[in-house]
Amino acid sequence: MSPSIEDVKKKYTQRLLAMPGVISVGIGKDPEGLPVIIVGLERPQPETQKKLPKTLEGYPLHIEIIGKIRAQ
Amino acid sequence: MNEELVSIRNILKDTRFKLHEQANVIATGVGYKVTEGKKTSILSIVCSVIKKLTPPQLSGKDTVPPIIDGISTDVVETGPIRALSYTGRYRPAPGGVSIGHMDITAGTLGCLVKKDGKAHILSNNHVLADSNNGLPGDYILQPGPYDDGEFPGDRIAQLEDFVPISFQEPEPPGGCGTARALASLLNFGAKVIRSKTRLQAITIRQAENLVDAAIALPIDEKDVSDEILDIGKIKGINEGAMGMSVKKTGRTTEFTTGEILQVDVTVDVQYELGKIARFADQLMAGAMSEGGDSGSAVLDTDNNLVGLLFAGSDTTTIFNRIQNVFSALGVGL
Repeated sequence: MSPSIEDVKKKYTQRLLAMPGVISVGIGKDPEGLPVIIVGLERPQPETQKKLPKTLEGYPLHIEIIGKIRAQ
Repeated sequence: MNEELVSIRNILKDTRFKLHEQANVIATGVGYKVTEGKKTSILSIVCSVIKKLTPPQLSGKDTVPPIIDGISTDVVETGPIRALSYTGRYRPAPGGVSIGHMDITAGTLGCLVKKDGKAHILSNNHVLADSNNGLPGDYILQPGPYDDGEFPGDRIAQLEDFVPISFQEPEPPGGCGTARALASLLNFGAKVIRSKTRLQAITIRQAENLVDAAIALPIDEKDVSDEILDIGKIKGINEGAMGMSVKKTGRTTEFTTGEILQVDVTVDVQYELGKIARFADQLMAGAMSEGGDSGSAVLDTDNNLVGLLFAGSDTTTIFNRIQNVFSALGVGL
């Protein structure tokens, strides 16, 4: 049985967050409503964006530029 | 302008000051008198009051005379008028208004929760406990210091308990952060090709936070209200889920709505002085808050509590799951 998206997300979270500019990893949906892993970048980061895989164990990985997240 | 109206306006001009001195009167104007719920054609001096009272609750000097210089008066109950918006002083204070520990700027009073049967104010650690710096018993002001809340007049509660935030250790200059990131990248590749020899970085796994939460005990239970401005009473709690419509009322952006776009979010959040804390199991919505909204209660469309707002960027809003908040603080509705 293939692992759930939650398990896959959990497995890669620390490594994704260690990449320059990555500030969040979560589970969202693509426009078709299919589950995707979403990596949030503070600002465009070509190096990191180039290195991020398109999928993680079969689940699509999307990149979003979300800006600096501050305590409000 | 019609002559009658001009003369009433002049009379009001002369008596307005005196009317506003009376307890309860919060606004005066000219309008058609309403009798038994029906608008009449009689122009009158309308006095708006927070709550309609009759003697003996109201002393004679505070009673609006039925006729002033031949002009009828009308007393209308409007409740408090929020000209000061959500940064003003409220007693009782509902959810959605400015609040803060004496040493901070200002955040939002989320809602009331119960601990040991007593009502407590729920908000963030960084609002009520100055990001781990507060001590139980510290005074909480409503409004918060940034909104001119002052000690001792605006004290509303005392810090009762908070969940400490674990901050990332600052990296020493020339530290191994880059090396760590590089090792991670390489391990990605290693993973894909199933290599057995994976690079080991010196992993300093920082603790993951689940909540930025604190509670404060009101000095007088009558000074707080179990309602949230623009939302009303909380019905229950619900599990935040992807696609759920949510709403909140906060000190800065007041009433806003949004949608949960991501769940199970792990996120690095910037605090004051460049401190960073990592949070896991968070909910992310689109932009629906700004600085000062921290501590807002997040509810679904049926008024069930789902989250505690504490952070955001220009495009996102982050909140803790309310279940994690309740279990970390040992509180309930």
